[in-house]
Order: sequence, then C-alpha cells, then structure tokens
Amino acid sequence: MTPGLLVKNAFVIDPLSGIRGEIMDIAIVNGRIVEETPPGAEVIDAAGCLTLPGGIDSHSHVCGTKVNFGRYMSPEDMRAGRTARKGVMRVTSGYSVPTTFGNSYRYCTMGYTTVLEGAMAPLEARHTHEEFTATPHQDMLANTLFDGNWSVMEAVREKDDKRAAAIVAWTLEAVRGFAIKLTNPGGTEAWGWGEDVNSIHDPVQNFEVTPAEIIGTMIRANEILNLPHSVHLHCNNLGVPGNYRTTLDTIDLVPDLNRERQSLYLTHVQFHSYGGSTWRDISSRSEDIARAVNARPQVVMDMGQIMFGRTTTMTADGPMEFKLYLLHHNKWSNHDVELETGSGIIPVYYGRKSLVNCVMWSIGLELALLTKNPWQCLLSTDSPNGAPFVKYPEIIALLMSRKLRENERKMIDRRTEHYVPLFSIDRELDWYEIAVMTRAGQAKALGITHIGKGHLAPGAEADIAIYPIRPDQVDPSVDYQQVMAAFSRTRYTIKRGRVVARDGEVVVEGANSTIWSRVKVPEEYDMGNDPEFTKKFEQYYTVRMRNYPVQDVYLPRGLRIDTEASL
Amino acid sequence: MKIEDVVCSFCGCLCDDLVVEVEGTRVVNVENGCTLANEKFMGDHRLEAPIRRHKEGWEKVSYERAIEETAGILLDADRPLLYGWSGTYGEAQTIGVHLAEVLGGVIDNTSTVCHGPSIMAIQEVGHPGCTLGQVKNRADVVVYWGANPIDAHPRHMSRYTTYCDGFFVKNAFRERKVVVVDVRETESSQVADEFVKVNPGGDYAVLSALRAIVRGKGGIIPQYVEGVSREQLFRVAEMCKAAKFGAFFFGVGLTMAPGKYKNIRNAIELTQELNRHTKFTISPMRGHWNVYGSNEVFTWLTGYPYAIDFARGIAFYNPGETTSVDILRRGECDACLIVASDPGAHFPRACAEHLAHIPTVQIDPHVNVTTHLSQIQIPVAVAGIDSEGTAYRMDGVPIRTRKLFQGSYPDDLEILEKIYAIVKEAKG
Amino acid sequence: MRVVLKTKQRAKPRIPIEAEEIIPQNFLRRNDVKVFEGNKERSLGDLFFVTSEGPAVSPDQVEVILTGETGVIKRVGEYMNAGRIIIEGDIGMHCGNFMSAGEIIVRGNADAWLGREMRGGHILCEGNAGHYCGAGYRGEKRGMRGGTVEVMGNAGDFTAEYLSGGEVIIHGNCGDLPGVEMRGGKLVIGGDCTRPCGNMTGGTCMVFGEARQFLPTFVRNGTEEVEYKGKRYRMAAFRGDVANRGKGIVLVRED
Repeated sequence: MTPGLLVKNAFVIDPLSGIRGEIMDIAIVNGRIVEETPPGAEVIDAAGCLTLPGGIDSHSHVCGTKVNFGRYMSPEDMRAGRTARKGVMRVTSGYSVPTTFGNSYRYCTMGYTTVLEGAMAPLEARHTHEEFTATPHQDMLANTLFDGNWSVMEAVREKDDKRAAAIVAWTLEAVRGFAIKLTNPGGTEAWGWGEDVNSIHDPVQNFEVTPAEIIGTMIRANEILNLPHSVHLHCNNLGVPGNYRTTLDTIDLVPDLNRERQSLYLTHVQFHSYGGSTWRDISSRSEDIARAVNARPQVVMDMGQIMFGRTTTMTADGPMEFKLYLLHHNKWSNHDVELETGSGIIPVYYGRKSLVNCVMWSIGLELALLTKNPWQCLLSTDSPNGAPFVKYPEIIALLMSRKLRENERKMIDRRTEHYVPLFSIDRELDWYEIAVMTRAGQAKALGITHIGKGHLAPGAEADIAIYPIRPDQVDPSVDYQQVMAAFSRTRYTIKRGRVVARDGEVVVEGANSTIWSRVKVPEEYDMGNDPEFTKKFEQYYTVRMRNYPVQDVYLPRGLRIDTEASL
Repeated sequence: MKIEDVVCSFCGCLCDDLVVEVEGTRVVNVENGCTLANEKFMGDHRLEAPIRRHKEGWEKVSYERAIEETAGILLDADRPLLYGWSGTYGEAQTIGVHLAEVLGGVIDNTSTVCHGPSIMAIQEVGHPGCTLGQVKNRADVVVYWGANPIDAHPRHMSRYTTYCDGFFVKNAFRERKVVVVDVRETESSQVADEFVKVNPGGDYAVLSALRAIVRGKGGIIPQYVEGVSREQLFRVAEMCKAAKFGAFFFGVGLTMAPGKYKNIRNAIELTQELNRHTKFTISPMRGHWNVYGSNEVFTWLTGYPYAIDFARGIAFYNPGETTSVDILRRGECDACLIVASDPGAHFPRACAEHLAHIPTVQIDPHVNVTTHLSQIQIPVAVAGIDSEGTAYRMDGVPIRTRKLFQGSYPDDLEILEKIYAIVKEAKG
Repeated sequence: MRVVLKTKQRAKPRIPIEAEEIIPQNFLRRNDVKVFEGNKERSLGDLFFVTSEGPAVSPDQVEVILTGETGVIKRVGEYMNAGRIIIEGDIGMHCGNFMSAGEIIVRGNADAWLGREMRGGHILCEGNAGHYCGAGYRGEKRGMRGGTVEVMGNAGDFTAEYLSGGEVIIHGNCGDLPGVEMRGGKLVIGGDCTRPCGNMTGGTCMVFGEARQFLPTFVRNGTEEVEYKGKRYRMAAFRGDVANRGKGIVLVRED
C-alpha cells in the first residue's frame, strides 16, 4: 500500500463534515484519511489553495455500447480532440465523446475521482465493464436500465412490488450494476414498435402498464431492497415543448420513503422544463420546477446544462433521438436492446443564434439558482448530451458570477430574456455551494458516503482535489476567468492517497474500482429459480441465462455494497 | 464430459447454445452447432510448436526465442503493420492496440476486407439497428440484401429470423415474410417469399429508387431499374411500409459491390426513411465471430474501429490510406505481425507477395496460407476451445467464450503481453 | 525566394514521407522544417537536397519546388495560405489539404485526396488525379468549401465527394460516383463518368462526356446551353437527387 502523505495548508471545504473554509492539514495512510500524520510522510503544500473531496459525477455517459457507437460513428469528432503519448499517458482521441483514456485523463486533471455511468443495458453490461477498466483513474458505478424490462413491467402489471424488487436484485447482481435507472419508462418498449408514450398515464402497448405505475413500483422496490441510491429517472417527454407538466406530474408521484436521502433522483431536468407548445413559443418553466423541488426534500435533481457549441447526444431514449433526427437530419444511430431498453445517438450543435438553444441554456442555470438547497440541484450536463464534461468549470463560473451571465446575455439571441427569468436572478453561488453541487451532494444522493466518498473526515477514502485558487484572495463574481482556469486543472489530484495528476498531467497508471450493489434476498425470491423469469431466457432472449451474468474477471477490483432486502 | 451453453467462435452469429462433449484435450461431439461449428470444434489440427524459417525449410524454436525475435522485428521497423485480430478475443486485441501505439505502427483488423465499407457508411449516416432478439420477437418483414445466410451464417435464420418464433410472432414461418435481394439465385433466395434479382453493380440505383418510392415520389421511376421491374420495386416498398417491424440484413454482396460503402449508406438511408412510416432496423452480417469486438476495442481505445496509424504519435484513420490491403499493395510497410487471421488466403496477390518479402510473423494455432509467407509462426490456444475471453456478436452483444479444457498451448494474450513488455522496455 | 527540394535516395523508398511542414510560409523564417518517414522524425536535409535562393519578405513571395521521387510524399501544402508550390513529377496523398490561398502545380499525377477540405487557392494537376479528388474527410458533413482544383487528365472515384463550395474541374474522365453527396459548388467533368451525383442535395455538376448508369432518381428539367473550353454545348438539365430531397442540378451533354 502507499506510504503516508500529508497535505498541508489546505483551504478545505468539506460540506459533509460541516467545514466551510478552514486552513487545515490532511493526513493520509494506506489510501485513507487519518487523524495522525504518519512519520516520514511525503508532504504536499497546498499553499492555501482550495481543497475539496475528489469530484463525483452522478450522471455522465462515458462507457458502454451507445457511447462507443458515438465514437465509432464520429471520426470527425475523434480527430477534433487528439493527444499524443506523454509519460504514462496514452494516446487519446475525441472531443465530445473521448476515448476511455481520454475521458479518464480529462476527468482526472479536473479533480474527478468517481463517475456514475448514466445508462447500462443489462444485456450489454460486459461492454460497460470492459470500458470501466479502461477508464482507470475514476471509480466507476453503473446505472442499470429497467425502463423497458419485460419481467419488471409484468410485475408492475400484477401490482407485485416484491416481485419487481426481486427481479431488480437478481439483475443488479448478475450485471454488477449499482442503481435502478429508468429512461423514458414505458417509452423505450413502445419504441420497439416505433412508438412513444405521451404522458405518464399513457399505457404501454402489449403490457398494459403506465409510466406512472412503473415509476411508483420501482421507487417502492428500491426501498424494499435498501439500495444505496434512489431510483434515477430520465422523465418521459424529454425535449418536448410544454413537457414541464410531465415533470411536475412525475414529481407529484414521489413519496418520502427514506430518511438518509431522496426517494427519486431526477436527471438532466433542464431538458424537462419547457413551457410553450411548439418550438416557436418554447419558454422556461424552471420556476415551476424549482418551486416543486424546493417543497419536496424527497426529490433531488441534476441540471443537464447545455453549453453552446457542438456535441453528441446519446441516451437510452430511442424515440427522442429519432425526433432529433427528424428535426436536424444529422447522422442518426439507434440500438434497441431486446426485452430491456433502447438507445439513440445523434450529433447536435447548440447555437447562440438559436432562440430555442438560448432558452435551453438559460434553464439549466435557472434551475441551479432557483433551487434553495444546493443539495437538491447538482451540477451536470448529462455529458455529452448538453456539453462535454470539460465545460463544467465554465458552468461553475456562470453560477458564481452574475457579471459573466450578463456578458453572455450580450452574445446570445436578444429575444431570450422575454422567454426566461435568468437575467433577473441576482443570486451568485458561493464556494461551499459549488462544493456541494460537484461532490458532496452527489455522494449523499448516491448513498456512497458510508464507504468513504465525498468527504474528508478521518476514515474517508483519500480522494482529494487541490485547485490552484485561493478563495480568500479571489472574488468569484468578478474573477470568473480565474475560477474557470482553476477548476479546469488541479494542482494535485489525489486518488486513494496517491498523487495521480499534477498541473494537467496524469503521472501514474490507474487502478480503479467498480462499485456495485448486491442485495441479499430470501431464497423464495431468487429469480434464478423462478420459472416465469427463466422462461424469458429460454424463449425470448437470444443469450442463454448461463452466459448472461457478468463474470468476476470483469471487475478486477470490484467494490461491493451489500444490503439486505426487506422481503 | 458434456459442457452446455458453449459459445461457438466461428461466425458473427456467436451462437451460445452449443452442447459439446470433451475427452481429454479433444472435442468429440457437438450438438446444436452448424457444419461450420462442427468443423471448428472437431477438425482442429494444430501446429505443434513455434517455427521459424531455416534455410529452405523450417526449424522448431522455443516460445522465448520466437517472442524475442518478433519483438526485435517490430522494433527495427519504420512502418510496422499489426493485422488480423478478428479471430481472438478482446483482451488480446487490447494489447495489440497498446503495442501498435508504442511502436508507432499501423493496426488493422479484418473489417478492412469485409465490412469496412459498412463502417464507413455508418460514419456518414449512422446505424439505426437493434439486438437480434428484437428481430426475433417482433419482425414481420426480414430482408436479406447481398447476403446468403444459409451458406455463410447457417443458423441465422433459425435462431433469429425466418424460422424463429418470438414473443410477438408466435408462428414465424407463417407470419414472417422474407425477401432476398441478390445478383443471382442462392439457397437463401430459394426459401424467400420474394426474390429480387438486381444487375451486378445495380444495388445503389435500386436503393435510390426504393427511397424515392417510399418518399412518395415513385412517379419518376422508369419501367426497369437495373434489372428490377417497377412493379416489383413498388411491391417491395409497400411491403416494407406496411410492416409492423422490418429488419434489413446485408452482407458482402452489398459491401463489395461497385460503390462499396455508398451502397450501404443508401440502404441505411432507406431504413431511416422507412422509420418515418414504421419501425425498421438495419444490421450488417458480420463474418468473423469477433470482428465486431475488434472494432469495439479499437474504438474505445483509439477512437477508430480499424485502420489506425500511430506513426505520428496520435491516432490517424483513413481507409484507403491506412488500410492493410492498400499499405501492403503499395509496399509501404517493412514488417508485419498477423494475429488470428489468414490474409494470405484473403488478400490480393500483390499483398501476399509483399508479405513474403518483409519479415512477417504469425500468431495462430493452425498452419494456413499465411504460414507460407511468414518468417516465424507462434501457435497458441484456440479462443473458444482452450482459451476464453470476450467476444462481440454481430449486433454488439458481448458474450464470454468458454474454455473447454486446459490445453498445453499458451494464450495469445500471454504471448502478446510478453512481446509488449520487451518493446515497451526498449522504447523507454 | 525559390526553394528547391530534391529527394535523396532512401534505403526503403516506399515508406511514405509525411511533409505537412512543406508550405511556403515555413521557409520564410524557419530553417528547421521537419518531415516524417514512417514513424521516424527527420530533418528536411535528411531526405532532401535543399537549395534556397533569393529574398522574400512575405510568404507569397516564396516558391517551393519539389523534384525527384515525389510520388510518396504526403500532405505537401497542408494549410497553405500563400505562395506557390511546384511539383516536378507525381505527388502523394493529401496534397493541398485545408489550403486557403496560394497555388500548387503538379506536373505529374496526384495520388488520392488532392485538395482535401480546401477553402481557397488554386491547384492544377497536369496529369491524372487519384480517388477522392477535391473531397472531404470521413464523417464531416462538408468537404471542399472554396478554391479551385483543376485536373488536366482523369480522376478516380468519388471525385468532389461532399463538395460544398469552390470548383473542381476534371478535363478527362472520372471514375464512379463523382459529386456524390455534393451540396454546393461546381463540378465540371470534361470526359465520361458513371453514376454522377448520387445523393446530391445542391450545387451544379456538368458532364461533357458520357454519363453512364445515370441514376433513376433525377428528374428531367429542360435544356440549357453552357460553354466549355471555348465551345458552346446543349445540355440536358436534371434536378435531384429525389431520393435525398435534393435540389441540385446535373447538366449532361446532349449533342
């Protein structure tokens, strides 16, 4: 294991430990933070620089079938982001969909040490895990897709929460998944026939269940299983003008079932906050959404901010991606996964001259500024859908500086301010709130604080980011260039007690862990013995049940979170 | 000993329901497999030990010596080519990429002579596809274009399409319509509900015509398009539009027809046009069991699915320039490592001649045509028989092949890692 | 200023040379131009006999002449924005990549991707050009955007693929699918070709020889008269490609 390390003179903000900006020393032994400095420890002088727990991304598309589709079909994106070998760093390619090492190095030099892959289809989980191993500087977690899962929908139809829970338990263990992900629930199955669902009460053809029922059952099943994270939901009607109503209807469904964390995590909510009824009169309804979330501690969301420029959209929401194809006629890929879910990929360009895009850009920022509690609105771009994650520092700067937002206002479509409230919002987030929205909040929402993520108290994993900026000397509302530069490149990124990056360069080879959830269920709920469940493999899947699960060899350093179901 | 749920490592169908009987280090029986599977598992005649050229013949050498010499050959080269990869599994393909990167060489896989054009088309217009189970469970119209599955993918029709019942298609044989498009009759066209005979080289025009008809502009179509009557064109277009779920499958008949990737692009754009009316997907009939795997691995590591040139320290991709056939034909490379493939048998003559002139090393269990062009051959275990690893089916579904017994051969992963270690050390 | 680069004999003459630094502006002030031979970096002097004469205060006063075994030299003139390059023989792939101004003259034949993704300037090839003359790069929606590529001989397949602007003139024959995916600009083919302008959405193409296997998804739209090399011709006019919602124009010689 690694010898001791001492980080001196760190300006620490550690929200989970209640530290809001104190100069302290951090002692590390064997990859964990400890009380006492070990003798002979190597010393790093943080020189009063902002020191935070390692960044945690709670929703990013970096590994798996559809991400690789995005790379494969975009040689022009690959050539736009190429880097050569340097020291231990391998060749990378890709601008909006970097190669796995590209992702890992870029996250690493930004101080990120844990990333949740936004969507993994169980049938193709092996692919995600292979790419996890090739993203070596971040501990990885996989959101496991259940939105179009036949066995689940049948259990929902039977109103059998326990059965649904048992199916989830079996599947998460089989594919080494972390949490329940629902993307356009019901819609991805409808897309198997080229259809979609239009509201949360729209029944899914051939299965006679509604999205509301699927969401309700899965939220309850999630709590039965005592999973660390809540259900992670990409609402129905993403991108549709007027869809804020669907989002509000969905929020209304959410019970408060858990004391430690939210009962529902709503992802990339910017894409779900549109008023108006067509592209011509689309407007921001961020105020309605923020009001609903402010009143409900059982809901946490992430922004889904878009940034201007070109990027690639990729989600499990097949029908939505097809709609983008009809709109923009760009190259479009689709990949439906039997009995489980779907996906679509299409490159996009968000332009300052497009009123619609300007409204979208405003909404993401509004959601963050209008949500009172920073723990309830986390920073994300649904990377790369809204923008590649390398744009996070710019977003931080925008949230901290009204002046910067004003500068942007001058460059975007002049009509925007008539459709959005952004420019009348004075609030500027502070360092503490940013620390919550980029790591502490994620750790809490994902339920991984108890394994030592997201904080710097003794016992925590020594994942630390030291940013080259002195909060006592910089006014973020004015010095936004400095803020952007600082968050783009750490002075040091420390992972499990090892310095992994220094001033923009990755200095060692990585050895990450994959974090997954295993729920203990009573024998009678073991789906491995259930005839209805196994029949799916005998008759409808094209892979045998024996060959379906992800073998241990794919997780060389798996980190399993054990829980027990209340069944 | 009987082993169930065995994965066949022959064609892109990647069937995983084989039942195999093993005695010691031999496979003596295969159930559920097709004739290609039987040949793969039971007709396994291996090279016994590493060999290298010696005067007019061959001499046996140790693995250590063969590995060292191979590393030396690669290090001496100004433009080494690492080719093949489709017959081995992902873990080995990964080392291949790392090796090419450190050497500043070119790495390429068999897509280059097979579905490279499909990939190029996807890079222009995308790939509206699905996993094979979607077709099995939902499709009521299946079109095979430039493909003869009965011959090249024998169980495709029974596992995934024509003869395969699904959740929504309880009686496939009756409910599912099959169309075959080809330049001549084949075994597959004999069992089709509709056979469309196209003039050689005429696929592009026929696809354009179908697109126009689906768009509602059929009025401009002449009486015949490349041998296909207007009537038949309209009938096929209607059948597709009226489908509840249609699936195109295309093979090298289309990828290798004049225009190559433009044919595939046209077929993809037809599929996209049909999606405005109903559900339609398109899928390439990948030949090798793990060629798609080599595309996937190469892509997540370098950004590109094949034909990657590291000479300039970054990844550069340009089919026609960085593809093996072109490099060999122009005599551009000065050393070649071939893994799990037989270019001697598949490449044009000029390429084979060049391989014979430069130092060529082959890592492969069997004596094949390429052996005669090589300087060294290193035999290894056969993926799917005595070594295991990850493979990607033609639709992208990853399945792990099984290891049926512990043989006496090393894995190619082991050999490649040793070569890589020597090269990395030398490069500093 | 006149710079002459004459190739030296090489031990492995078929290993390609990448010479994207051979552009007029690099000879103005620098004397450390690098080229690559396979995976090895070389200085210009390693592979060429270099002679330089005359002054220049700006790149448009610089003329670079390549002579010898030039057929395997790639990327000459890449991102060129002034001056002149003359190749006294054949030239390798990607000659004049991303060029925005200046002039390139190839006395012999040009390999594939001549003038790729060009934005301006002039390229003249006195011999034949290979495939993808005046074309784009994989996956990009637009190819050549401006400038002129003129080939006195024949060109290969996929000439002017993705043409978005500028002019490509092939006085001889073209291979298969010239002007495929084109969306703007002008393509002139003096000789024969097969299947011109598949999937076209815009721009104009003129064929003065025979257009074989003409695609069924182009609609006849009257007649036009145009001039080519001092003579007037009557052309059948077509609009298409209807399969792709195209509004491009293809003119094919009628008389």
